[in-house]
Amino acid sequence: MTLSEHAERNREAWTEQAPEYAANADRAWSQQEVSWGVWQIPEADVHALPDVVGKDVVELGCGTAYISAWLARMGARVTGVDITPAQLETARAMQVKHDLEFPLVEASAEDVPLPDASFDLAVSEYGASIWADPYLWIPEASRLLRPGGELVFLVNGTILVLCFQEQEIPPDEQLRRPYFGMHRFEWPDDPGVDFHLGYGDWIRLLRANGFEVEDLIELQAPEGAPPHRYEAIAGPEWARKWPSEEIWRARKTG
Amino acid sequence: MNAPDLTEHARKNREFWDGQSAEYDERNARFIERGLAWGLWQVPEAELQVLGDVAGKDVLELGCGAAEWSRSLAGAGARPVGLDNSQARLERARAANEAAGVEFPLLHASAEAIPLEDDSFDIVMADWGAPTFADPYLFVPEVARVLRRGGLFAFSGATPLDWLCFDDEADAFSDRLQREYFGMHRWDTPEGSVEFMLPMGEWIRLFRRSGFLVEDLIEVQPPEGAESTYRTPEETAWARRWPMEQIWKVRRA
Repeated sequence: MTLSEHAERNREAWTEQAPEYAANADRAWSQQEVSWGVWQIPEADVHALPDVVGKDVVELGCGTAYISAWLARMGARVTGVDITPAQLETARAMQVKHDLEFPLVEASAEDVPLPDASFDLAVSEYGASIWADPYLWIPEASRLLRPGGELVFLVNGTILVLCFQEQEIPPDEQLRRPYFGMHRFEWPDDPGVDFHLGYGDWIRLLRANGFEVEDLIELQAPEGAPPHRYEAIAGPEWARKWPSEEIWRARKTG
Repeated sequence: MNAPDLTEHARKNREFWDGQSAEYDERNARFIERGLAWGLWQVPEAELQVLGDVAGKDVLELGCGAAEWSRSLAGAGARPVGLDNSQARLERARAANEAAGVEFPLLHASAEAIPLEDDSFDIVMADWGAPTFADPYLFVPEVARVLRRGGLFAFSGATPLDWLCFDDEADAFSDRLQREYFGMHRWDTPEGSVEFMLPMGEWIRLFRRSGFLVEDLIEVQPPEGAESTYRTPEETAWARRWPMEQIWKVRRA
C-alpha cells in the first residue's frame, strides 16, 4: 500500500490523537441509536440513511467504528476501513467488549483493497469525508458500490470552513478565507491535512463519478444544544444560525 | 392571466418592474444587448456551456425583460417564448424585436403560474429574471410541468453567501456573516420588490421532489477587472473571493 503524502501525515496525526478518541469510544459504542455529528442529532430527525437491513455497508475512515457498530445492530453487514492502526485497535477492543464483530480493514479510503461493486452503502462521518482527498476517495467509493448503491457522508459546513480560525478557538462571523479554490487545507500547529470543497465542486465530482445527487442535509444545532468538546468547531450559538455540518446523499446510477 | 391571480409578492414585483423598466434599460441595456452571455459580468455562454445546442429547441425564458436572451436564442436557431411579469418590460421586448426584425411569442405572466401547456419545452432558462423575484416553491414545480422529459432548466441568480454577507446599513457586501442561513427564503427590499433565496440543501430537495436531476451548479467567478453595469468594482472584487452569482442546471427526469 503506497500512501499519499497527506495520508501519511494524517495517519501520524491520528495515531497521536488515538488515546483521546479511545477514551470516548465506549460511550459512542454504548449508544443504541444512530446520531449525527457533534450535536448528535438522531437519525430519526435527519433521515440521512436508507434502510440498512441486510445491506453490505462500508464505512470509510471508521476511526473507532462506532457508526459501523450502530449500523451492524440495525441489521447491516458492515466493514470498517481506517488508515490508523491505533484507531483500529480501539475498534477491536470495543468489538470484544460489546460482543459485536465485523471486518476491519487497515487502508486509506483513497485506495481500498476491497473488490468492485461489493457494497450497497458507503458512509463516512468526519472520516475519509474530510481527511482524504475527495478527488481520490469519491472514485473509490463509486468503485466499491453496486449500481443503485448509496453514498452518505458528513463534512464540516462550507460556511464554517470559510470562518474557521487559525487557532483552536471557535469561529465567529468573519469570513477568513476565499471560497474559490477550496480543496486542501493545512493549519498552523496542526500536523494534519484536511479537504473541503465548495457546493458546485462536490456536485461536479459526484456526477463525474456516476452519482446522482439526492440530498444535502445542512445540520442545525438543536435549541438548547450543550457545547461539545471540539474547540475549533462552531459552538451552539453559531451553529443555530449557520450550518456547522452538512450531509451529502448520492446514489450510484447504472 | 388577471392580476387578482397573482401572489401578493408577484403584484409588488410587477409594480416594481413596471416602475423601473425605463431606468433599468438606461443603465443596463447596452451592456446586455450582446446576448448569449450570463449575468452580472456577461460571461459568454460559449465559455460556460450551460445550454448546449439550442437549434430547433423550444425554449422558454422566464423573466425575459427586453428579451435580449430570447432574441439571441432565436438567432441560434431556437424557437423561443419570452415570459415576463411586467407589461412595461414586454413593451421594450416588442419594440426591440420589431427593430431587429425578429418575431416570437411574448407572454405577460408570473413564473409562478405559467399559462402554457404541460410538456411543451426542451429548455427553460432564466438569466436572473423571474427566479430572483418568484417563490421557488411555486416556480420550480411550474417549470417541471412545462418541460418535456429530459428537458433542461438552467437559471442564474444570487447565492446564499451573497445574501448572508450583504450589510443593509452599509449598503455593501461585507466579509462578515450579517444574517442567518437557516430559514432563508424571502427578502422584502427597501425598494419595494420582493426577492427569494433558498439554502443550498433546500434547492436540492425542491429540485428532486419536483422531478429534476441535479446536473451542475456553476458558481461564477468574474475575471479580474470584469466590467458590470450591475455591480461596482468593489463588489466585483468581493465576487472574486466568494460566489455572488450561481447557475443551477437541472434536468427533468
